[in-house]
Amino acid sequence: MGSVIDLQARQKSEQTNTETTDMTLDVRTSGEDLTGWDRGKIVEALIRETGLDQQTSEEISIEVEEVIKKAAIKCITAPLIRELVDSKLIERGLEEIRKKHTRLGVPIYDVDQLILHPNKENANVPHGPEATNLTLAEGIKKEYALLRVFSPEIGDAHMRGDIHLHDLGFIDRPYCSGQSLEYIKKFGLSLPNSLSIAKPAKQPEVLLAHMVKMAAALQSHFAGAIGWDAVNLFFAPYLEGRSDKEVRQLAQMMIYEFSQQAVARGGQAIFTDINLYWEVPKHFENVPAIGPGGKFTGRTYGDYEKEAQRFVWFLFDIYREGDGTGRPFFFPKPLVHITEKFFKTEGHQKFLEHICDIASEKGTTYFVFDRGDTAKISECCRLSFKLNDNDLNDAKEPWKMRFCALQNVTVNLPRLAYKNVDNEEAMFSSLTDLIKLAVKAHLEKKKFIESLLALGENGPLALLMMKTDGQPYIRMHRASYLIGMVGLNEMVQACTGQGLNESKRALKFGLKVIAHMNLECQRLSKEHGMHFVLEQTPAESTSYRFARLDLRDFNEQARKYVRGTIDSGEIYYTNSTCLPVSSNENPIERVQSEGLFHPIIEAGSLTHIWLGESKPSKESLANFVIKTFRETLNDQIAFSPEFTNCLQCGRTVRGMLDACPCCGSQEVDGITRITGYFTKVSSWNKGKIAELKDRNKNQGFFARTKTGSA
Amino acid sequence: MSTVKIFTKQECPRCPQAKQLGADMEQDGHSVLYYDVETADGLAEGTFFSVQATPTIIVEDADENVVADFRGQVPTREELLQTINAQ
Repeated sequence: MGSVIDLQARQKSEQTNTETTDMTLDVRTSGEDLTGWDRGKIVEALIRETGLDQQTSEEISIEVEEVIKKAAIKCITAPLIRELVDSKLIERGLEEIRKKHTRLGVPIYDVDQLILHPNKENANVPHGPEATNLTLAEGIKKEYALLRVFSPEIGDAHMRGDIHLHDLGFIDRPYCSGQSLEYIKKFGLSLPNSLSIAKPAKQPEVLLAHMVKMAAALQSHFAGAIGWDAVNLFFAPYLEGRSDKEVRQLAQMMIYEFSQQAVARGGQAIFTDINLYWEVPKHFENVPAIGPGGKFTGRTYGDYEKEAQRFVWFLFDIYREGDGTGRPFFFPKPLVHITEKFFKTEGHQKFLEHICDIASEKGTTYFVFDRGDTAKISECCRLSFKLNDNDLNDAKEPWKMRFCALQNVTVNLPRLAYKNVDNEEAMFSSLTDLIKLAVKAHLEKKKFIESLLALGENGPLALLMMKTDGQPYIRMHRASYLIGMVGLNEMVQACTGQGLNESKRALKFGLKVIAHMNLECQRLSKEHGMHFVLEQTPAESTSYRFARLDLRDFNEQARKYVRGTIDSGEIYYTNSTCLPVSSNENPIERVQSEGLFHPIIEAGSLTHIWLGESKPSKESLANFVIKTFRETLNDQIAFSPEFTNCLQCGRTVRGMLDACPCCGSQEVDGITRITGYFTKVSSWNKGKIAELKDRNKNQGFFARTKTGSA
Repeated sequence: MSTVKIFTKQECPRCPQAKQLGADMEQDGHSVLYYDVETADGLAEGTFFSVQATPTIIVEDADENVVADFRGQVPTREELLQTINAQ
């Protein structure tokens, strides 16, 4: 942020001369030095920053000088001077000039609060100096985005809560990325601005080090998750000849390296997803494998199935152990792809039970379902990049497989119902307008990012413009533009009188809303030659923000549908297209019903099965997973248990408890999934706390449930 | 009474055949509903029945239970009648 300027005025009261050169006023500038008062600097700034004409600029500077003199201000700051100039611009009706001249900053009270208290917008950001820096920087970039990147129409829609522009504080970066290890295996680590260049790794430990550093570099160029494709398979050529002990050690290193990197941006861990396979995915079977030194091994990845399986097995062994106190690892998130080929691959049942054992014990496993010929890279809370024919062609040279989503814009669905009571046609028309608005927001962000990328390797996004393989790291022609939704359940309730889970009619109405959104995305994609796709927004804070704004602006209607407790302010809307977390369907019914929406939400969906303190048997979870694959169209599921971590004795036990059952201390913190990832409950916002209280934990559904310590 | 639901889209080589079958069934006095999966109503209904290929023909009984489905294929008139008459 710009420095707070401490200015001291030494104005001689008897001085009446209007010439700036005669004023002896010290001004401490944002460049952190003291300069003498110079009215001419106001003129310079107005002309330089806003293009205002010389004469008006001169007049304004004289008027401001008069104000300062008359007020006999003892302590003047550069921001104050700017505010005085802005007030003169307002008096003259020069609103557009004022906008250009405005100063982005933070009130000192807010800085006090930010330094002292945690920001709970993102539970992955701990409280500390780095987090404060992040929040302050984000605050300024948010304002910048709304003033300079987006048009007033988009900015106002966001401020009103019609839509939510995600990660405004990261306006100068794309949203999420998915990539292949093959890039660093083939080219080593040669990043713009780095002090040294590393050739391709010869040892698996070095490859891991390169992966971690690349992930950190990418984290500073993307707002969200960093995903890696087929990690166990691409490591496999490095593991031949290594003992089980060594491979297990490498698995342990990988998980700890990614879970303990809570030192980078904002003090948060790198939001890392690793895509894993038991089988060798069909599209990599005949691809020449890259091994130590970045050299082709002379074999194809189909030949490395056993090594890949050995590594993924050990990874889950480590996930099962948990960290030093038995807590589940929050990152890297392991996404296991379940495909048709999975079921034809030797040992699949044993592996499925292995990862289900960890799912029951720690909740860590994500099950991603790739039915038929579907292939995808998954990441973030539920985002996935489905591979089309071009991508599958790129798979022959997997280092080319680099994907990104440029931005996510979420639509506030319940508000549409409040604004169009008893008028379905008007509501769908308003929905079309909002999607068009979201597309406009994407076009504006794209234009801004492209202007940064155009600066090439000397610009702020140099890393994304490095052309190691002949084309920029970021492949803009393959970028996705996400459109999300929040509160479908409450919207349907407001329109039909029933929630999604209460009648076939309500469920079909919900499907119509999402079908409409899907078709609009397809139509607009064709029109603009871009890829607009629906995604289930994680909505960690958006569901709270929308509920809060709707209670303020549409109180009479919103208070009937908003969830949580209005009096305490712990309120939320149901996430995306999910059924209410409190509804009492059994898990398979939930997976089926929620899964109906997944095929038309192309960029990713997830169903949570909240487990509370129960620990189902691995066999019953394995059956559940198979049933989900075979009998539903659900895209992805995760079993989410709850834990209590004692801050006193360090033990972690199952269930959300008020006191530690081991030492009795009440200094405990809960751990469970907030959206698509595990965090400490103490870092959650009010909306998510309310949702947690409402969650149906499915007690007693799964076979051989038992309880106990983690 | 059974209802026949036919899901089609514009560019689909076998969809005209499915529509013709629907017209024949209507002539025989059966209840037939048509859904274009490129419209919101059609896509919503198709998504509800997990339609992933066109044409798809679904037969529902009077209680809206699915009693037969032909996905990505068109049955003969006899096959379809047999399904309906079995109710």
